[in-house]
Amino acid sequence: MEAKLLRVDLTTGEIRTEILPHSLFERWVGGSGINDWILWEHFQRHDIMCDPRGPDNIFIFGIGPVAGTGSGIGVKGRITFKSPEYGHFADSAGGGKFPYMVRFTGYDHIAVTGKAPKPVYLHICNDEVTICDASHLWGKNTSETHTLLREELGDYPSEAHTLTIGPAGENLVGMSGVVSDGWRIYARGGGGCVMGSKNLKAIVVQGNKGVKIARPQDLLRWADGFRQKIDANEAGYGFKRRGTLGAVEMYQKIGGNFWRNNQGVLFCGDEVRSDNWVKKFHKYSEVCSSDCFVACDGRYKIEGHESPQANRYVGESFRHPEYLTTASGAGALDLRDWADVAHWGKITNELGLDNQDLSCSIGFITELAQRELISPKDIEELFGRPLKLEWGNMEVIEEIVEGVAYQKNLFGQLFRDGAYYGALNFSQRKGENFMKYAIYGKGGASFTEELRAYPTWMNNMAVASRGADHLKGIGLIEKFQRKDLSKAYFGRPEAADLKTPLLKGACTHVIENQVALINSYGVCIFHWLLDVLGYAPESYYGEAYAAVTGIDKTKEERMRDGERICNLEKAFNSLIGMRREHDTICERWMYEPCPEGPWKGRVAADTFDTVLDEYYEWRGWDQQTGLQTRSKLEELGLEDVAEVLAREKALIEDGGKRSVQVSIPTAGIEKMAK
Amino acid sequence: MITIRAEYQARFREITKVPEETLQLEQPLVSELARIITEKYGPRMLALLIDPETNDLNNKGTLFLDSKGQRIYIDDTLEDGEVITFMVGIAGG
Repeated sequence: MEAKLLRVDLTTGEIRTEILPHSLFERWVGGSGINDWILWEHFQRHDIMCDPRGPDNIFIFGIGPVAGTGSGIGVKGRITFKSPEYGHFADSAGGGKFPYMVRFTGYDHIAVTGKAPKPVYLHICNDEVTICDASHLWGKNTSETHTLLREELGDYPSEAHTLTIGPAGENLVGMSGVVSDGWRIYARGGGGCVMGSKNLKAIVVQGNKGVKIARPQDLLRWADGFRQKIDANEAGYGFKRRGTLGAVEMYQKIGGNFWRNNQGVLFCGDEVRSDNWVKKFHKYSEVCSSDCFVACDGRYKIEGHESPQANRYVGESFRHPEYLTTASGAGALDLRDWADVAHWGKITNELGLDNQDLSCSIGFITELAQRELISPKDIEELFGRPLKLEWGNMEVIEEIVEGVAYQKNLFGQLFRDGAYYGALNFSQRKGENFMKYAIYGKGGASFTEELRAYPTWMNNMAVASRGADHLKGIGLIEKFQRKDLSKAYFGRPEAADLKTPLLKGACTHVIENQVALINSYGVCIFHWLLDVLGYAPESYYGEAYAAVTGIDKTKEERMRDGERICNLEKAFNSLIGMRREHDTICERWMYEPCPEGPWKGRVAADTFDTVLDEYYEWRGWDQQTGLQTRSKLEELGLEDVAEVLAREKALIEDGGKRSVQVSIPTAGIEKMAK
Repeated sequence: MITIRAEYQARFREITKVPEETLQLEQPLVSELARIITEKYGPRMLALLIDPETNDLNNKGTLFLDSKGQRIYIDDTLEDGEVITFMVGIAGG
């Protein structure tokens, strides 16, 4: 297995190609693993404490070896950078056709550094790479930019596929994402801001090269078996139509939704808590990539009669909202009409904004208004005019969203890096502490699901290397109460038992390693969630990876690969000074009792430290500081990383190799049992 | 004889074509409930509800909860008046 890395320095205009050797894949798998290594190496030569909005930051796109091979597991590309929003490691994923079209140009990874003197886009047409003027695109939204680039570049050797930023990225808004083909956002961490800081409006790819497969017959056999398993999966039929929107009803039942800045856990609008999306709005099912056996994507077109608000958007057509678009719109902001929720998804994509951090920023200020903690004068000062801040008012919300994207007013400026930093800025400005109303986890990242009943998820929010998020360690053994999987991984059922904190940190450890593998293979996480063969990407996905790359490993070795990748991301954050105290969550999640639903009364604080201790123990990290240990890094073959950390006093010297001894914690059980 | 209420979400509701129904069980067992539902709704429900490898309720991509929010298993007993919700388990997005 070999692949090509394209390096582009926008300051000098230098473009060069490097070969990524087989040994790199043996160590870092591909996709996000190799992205992480490129990031790590970059910051061995540049100051890791640099301004992430400055030219020393690096923007990396990467795609794993299994993507675009016909395996049918879907495709996910990954961007990696130092976050301008949270200040630490960040990455974000997106599907669609852009990622595998990158492979068809002959490149698997793209690394952009420096800063162009004026707006540019990067055009990669097979081996021909050009830095092009983008002054005519600057100011356009992501859909417009995609359309213009397609028209401009024609359809030879293939249609153009794009990765673009919107006005939010151009205006260096921290919570800005990048959008592929105009409608699939890589939302988290501020990748749009990094591209904007480099005056890079877009990356455009056109290619018609093939992808090399080490053992094509093995891959064909594997793909055929996988297709049959997907087709026989009856639960998958519902998922094909709803995508992640199927979670709305389920979360309503289990008390997992997020309402009005998490003052509640249940959606209140009859429309948005029903299955009416599928009945009324869903018009077309689509395959997001050509390499997917599920096809959960879809498009809506509003005709005007579907709901009371639909007449505001007659003719509007866009990608259907996913669950978190709904959780942020219908939940965090209490939009009660599907047409408004769909429009919320569309405008945040087109302006290039992360709807998690954005909705919690708007939710924060709306809750202050609801509680009469801010005056009409404060509101006028924030928004430049009198504004009626109220839940579920889409006209007001749209005005606020544009204010953030275009940095039109004080609110947009204070909250450009999300709810945590916005709340800090606002509290300092007012001389009063409002932080208890800000929703965030690690790094200040926001997330719009109710989590207090779910210790693994709460732990995910505190430790995820890219800041609070579910897609690094998605705790499904716990949420779906899968005792079979708990027994399979831990020999006992407690990871699936919501009444005990036992094995919840262990669960984060295992699933983070698995997710790191999935992200490095370059495939979609949702095929895994459908669970056709148990949650075990290290075995059955690993076989597809082996057929593509020729890299044969045992499942234990593959889990080590995932663990190695997680440890590299952790090392990045340790280098910039993150310690145990940064693995935390907001006051509302920690101390305010869950207000309603089946888990009413739960607070995270009862089990938080117990679960975090257990997580560090399973990770082989130091419980007191949260830092990595030399023994763990050496066990993973990361002696070089350990040396860097040791030089910066960010490593616990524990006397060399040791066998991992894991014990089961007992604290906190009594409180949860109540 | 006990009476339970079955609630159906997503794919389950597409098969049953009703969001909920009341069912009477001669034996207060989850296995009895599964037998009644699969007989009533046919092979698609059988494929969704029962794992052919284990003959237990299908764990994969599904979530079946009682009124206390606990996942139910084929050997569990049921109380009169229990509410069982049949869901497709999904997250993320």
